[in-house]
Amino acid sequence: MEERPCAVLLKFPGTNCDEETARAFETVGFVTEVIPISVLKPESLVGVSLVVLSGGFSYGDYVMAGRLARLVTEQKVGETLREFRDNGGFLLGICNGFQILTQLDLLPAGSLVENTSGRFQCQWVTLENKAPDSPFLSHLPESFEFPIAHAEGRLVTSDASETSAYLESGAAALTYSSDVNGSFDQIAGLQDESGRVFGLMPHPERFLYRQDHYDPDWSNGSEDEEKWGSGYYLFRSLYESVTSDEE
Amino acid sequence: MTAETSSTSSSGETILDSIAEAPADHYRVLKISDLDGDKLCELSQFMKLSLSKEDMLAVQEIYKEWGREPTDVELEVIAQTWSEHCKHRIFGATIEHEVDGEKETVNSLFKTYIFDVSHRIFDSKPGFVLSAFHDNAGFIKLDDEQAVCLKAETHNHPSAIEPYAGANTGLGGVIRDILGAGKGAKPIGSLDVFCFGAPDTGMENIKADDVLHPLGIMRGVVRGVRDYGNRMGIPTISGAIQFDDSYIYNPLVYCGTAGVIPIKDIDKEVGAGMTVIAVGGRTGRDGLHGATFSSAALDTESHEEDQQAVQIGNPIEEKKAADFVLAARDKGLIEFITDCGAGGYSSAAGEMLEECGGTINLDNVTLKEPGMVSWEIFISESQERMVLAVKPESLPALQELADLYETEMIVLGDADGSGILKVTHHGETVCQLDCSKLHDAPIRKLSSKWEKKTKEIEPPLLSNAGESLKGLLSDFAIVSREPIIREYDHEVQGNTVLKPLAGASGDAPQDATVLRINGSKRLMSMGLSILPEWGKTDPFAMGAACVDECVRQLVASGADPDRLAILDNFCMGNPDDTEELGALVETVKGIAEAAEVYGAPFVSGKDSFYNYFETEEGPVSIPVTILISGIGIIEEASHVTGSSLRRNDSVLAIIGHTQSQLGGSVLARQTGLENAEVPATDLEQAFASYRKYYEAIQQGLILSAHDVSEGGLAVTLAEAAFSGKAGLEIDLCSLPMDDDASKAAMLFGESPSRIVVEVAPENLEKLSDLFEGLPFACLGRAAAEHSSLRIEWGKETLINEPIEELKSLWKNGLAQYY
Repeated sequence: MEERPCAVLLKFPGTNCDEETARAFETVGFVTEVIPISVLKPESLVGVSLVVLSGGFSYGDYVMAGRLARLVTEQKVGETLREFRDNGGFLLGICNGFQILTQLDLLPAGSLVENTSGRFQCQWVTLENKAPDSPFLSHLPESFEFPIAHAEGRLVTSDASETSAYLESGAAALTYSSDVNGSFDQIAGLQDESGRVFGLMPHPERFLYRQDHYDPDWSNGSEDEEKWGSGYYLFRSLYESVTSDEE
Repeated sequence: MTAETSSTSSSGETILDSIAEAPADHYRVLKISDLDGDKLCELSQFMKLSLSKEDMLAVQEIYKEWGREPTDVELEVIAQTWSEHCKHRIFGATIEHEVDGEKETVNSLFKTYIFDVSHRIFDSKPGFVLSAFHDNAGFIKLDDEQAVCLKAETHNHPSAIEPYAGANTGLGGVIRDILGAGKGAKPIGSLDVFCFGAPDTGMENIKADDVLHPLGIMRGVVRGVRDYGNRMGIPTISGAIQFDDSYIYNPLVYCGTAGVIPIKDIDKEVGAGMTVIAVGGRTGRDGLHGATFSSAALDTESHEEDQQAVQIGNPIEEKKAADFVLAARDKGLIEFITDCGAGGYSSAAGEMLEECGGTINLDNVTLKEPGMVSWEIFISESQERMVLAVKPESLPALQELADLYETEMIVLGDADGSGILKVTHHGETVCQLDCSKLHDAPIRKLSSKWEKKTKEIEPPLLSNAGESLKGLLSDFAIVSREPIIREYDHEVQGNTVLKPLAGASGDAPQDATVLRINGSKRLMSMGLSILPEWGKTDPFAMGAACVDECVRQLVASGADPDRLAILDNFCMGNPDDTEELGALVETVKGIAEAAEVYGAPFVSGKDSFYNYFETEEGPVSIPVTILISGIGIIEEASHVTGSSLRRNDSVLAIIGHTQSQLGGSVLARQTGLENAEVPATDLEQAFASYRKYYEAIQQGLILSAHDVSEGGLAVTLAEAAFSGKAGLEIDLCSLPMDDDASKAAMLFGESPSRIVVEVAPENLEKLSDLFEGLPFACLGRAAAEHSSLRIEWGKETLINEPIEELKSLWKNGLAQYY
């Protein structure tokens, strides 16, 4: 029997999407382990293919979102995470996880700040797949929907030309098809140069099944896989990337 | 409830000083045995105990029997335990009730109309209701492995004074109720229902100082709910808002949360030898007297004096405690658990040790500030604390979990089987109470009266029904709550199958919401109803209609009509006013009758009194307001049915009968119809229809279904069409209705028990056959060729309006205020 790849989900006080994110990874074939930050050690990542920072409000996010989580993570496993990436490991940050990843400097420079609406926004958005070769997006179509739920998802850089450079280089792997929260160049997700570190504000784990869509008549267009929502294909892409890497 | 100036004598000595002896700095013995009733009353007011003269006399009597004087800790404990907030004494009172001249005696509203009715239903459905009334929340069976529960509470007084914090801790508190239900249930979805003054209330219409404007209250309350629910990672999936001038001074904030638990973890018991521990936040002077504060009326001074009764929540503290509790439960480390809510440790420990008895040592409590005296520690309602009884040998494993999730765990004491609740502090016993005595509050005696207020009136002539429809769609009672819904994370946990917004663009209305439950093929539906406008003139009809609407929402979404449970949450003004209490009694009778016919048991409930305010122009009370919320079991995912139109080639039909009465409707309010008769609910016929509807669901005949509620049939049709998928061609010529029903009643009347269903043309006959003998008719069809709402009555066109235009009125009505 083939060995299933292992995904580790880090849990900070206030992380609250770990359970459904773990479910999504289990569904596509990973074994998962949720590790509370209090017991996280560099050794925790031995034999692991993927490290996931899931959504939530780490430490309440009362300071800038992800700020405290970044400090704790840096102190506990900062160096280990960089080695992990350099040695072929994958890293995914969703929502609050994306906010933390940007602060850990594992992704191209940028900050996720308060939405231009000044509000928390829970809604579905249409996204453009700008990096179809990304190990995270290979099974997703050019355009698809995910739900978002955040108050601080507006990606800004010190100079607006940086984000247009991200579009050209492919670092801006995922964009909103309209202006959702004021993100520069409508960027919704970023990848690093290796392509193995990816962060996004939308929640793929909330669209694992077709029935998760707000419209009961939504279909992914493929009859043989009609059970799945678009989120499934992000996790599926990752599973195939991880397992083909390991072969 | 404020300290009277007369409590201080000329020498500056208070009533408390004059009777207190202090054996130590941290507690006092109060010599009450020689005080007369008035002095006792004065003492109660001075200590903010909210105990009546009769209560204080009863306390005095108990201590005379025991041959000693109480400590301040004991008096505070008794006040907490006997407070309306904790003991629901009005629902237990003996009431001499008179309705339209006929007299009756009600021995306990709770026992007669809630408990007994529900128990008859439990008996008729063996094995369905797994726990009710005695725990934090009642459980119903989901499948062979798991059960679900729902609990709703109000946080009205705190929200009036500090809306953000009041609503924040309101939701935080009800989430803890779920964590403390059984051996710890997992919170999976929340509801929030608010009653405010209208957002456009003029400042000149607020007749008291320091009262916050309704808009400020609304914004604060919504953000309070948002920041707690979102941070806890519990989707806020269901809600409603009512606006009425009567809520300007006393806004109502209902928060509810549903949970799921393995059936084996429902039963819990405290035994001698167990250790009592607490986890979560520390204890401080915040939240002193919340329970007694909620049991009295508000006035301008409340806004100045009672700030310490309101707290700011810390959802991350609670999230850590929740992670701890659920992990500990799964490891089998919990024997008993309850939350620290009103009354703090005193009521949590009281509940835990009332039969078994035991000792609580206040020296072990970790404090937010030094110098707290015994009673403050014991009754403080500091948030985010859970109290557990565990086996002593489990302590190391529990400590490991507390460290893992970074929450603080303390040992409070132990259970000893003595039947005595003992509290020690600094080496002295500061409280020693026989728990069985503690829970015997005197039964209150009240009288109430209700007289029929409604009369037959001429229905309004509709000169332009299209304009009337637009007026209704822009009414605060009907407009979209979208700006608020989007501030709540309603999809966290990844299980919200039927969301609060639906349609092709995800912004059309939805009745009930539906959650997938991890590990089950069954799902849970959540619905609710609140109709205060009805109750102003006909509280009985309001009660029945609220149960009907809640049940109807659950059934419409695909739930089995025989597997539902409901909650009753009452709010009212002054129970000592015979007419207000009369309205309450009538409401209770209404919900009881409907619940009994529908076989929908109450599994939990709560009540909030004294929602009145002393303004410059006299007291203003809220109308008796009941929220009926409920959960239902959906057999499988394919049964889940939304409220939004799905196809442009389908047929629309109506289930249910349209009555001529317009009372309680938004139209009646807009057109100034006063005391118009309110439609009655034909319970037997309605429930027969719901069962047939469920057969149709099982046969896959229903595409979508929207309940007819505020705004009547025309608004329902418009809302269904807000999905944006088609126009509608409707003809009311075969609408099942009263012979004398006016056009106003056909279009905008709010008769209960009606559902508009969408069905594929080829299934219409099958559906129609199913409803043989019940009110049912085809109304028309979805139109691919246009995108308007067209309603005709024979040859007359009543309404012909572009759906986009109607939708924009509905969608933007609240947006300008929030």
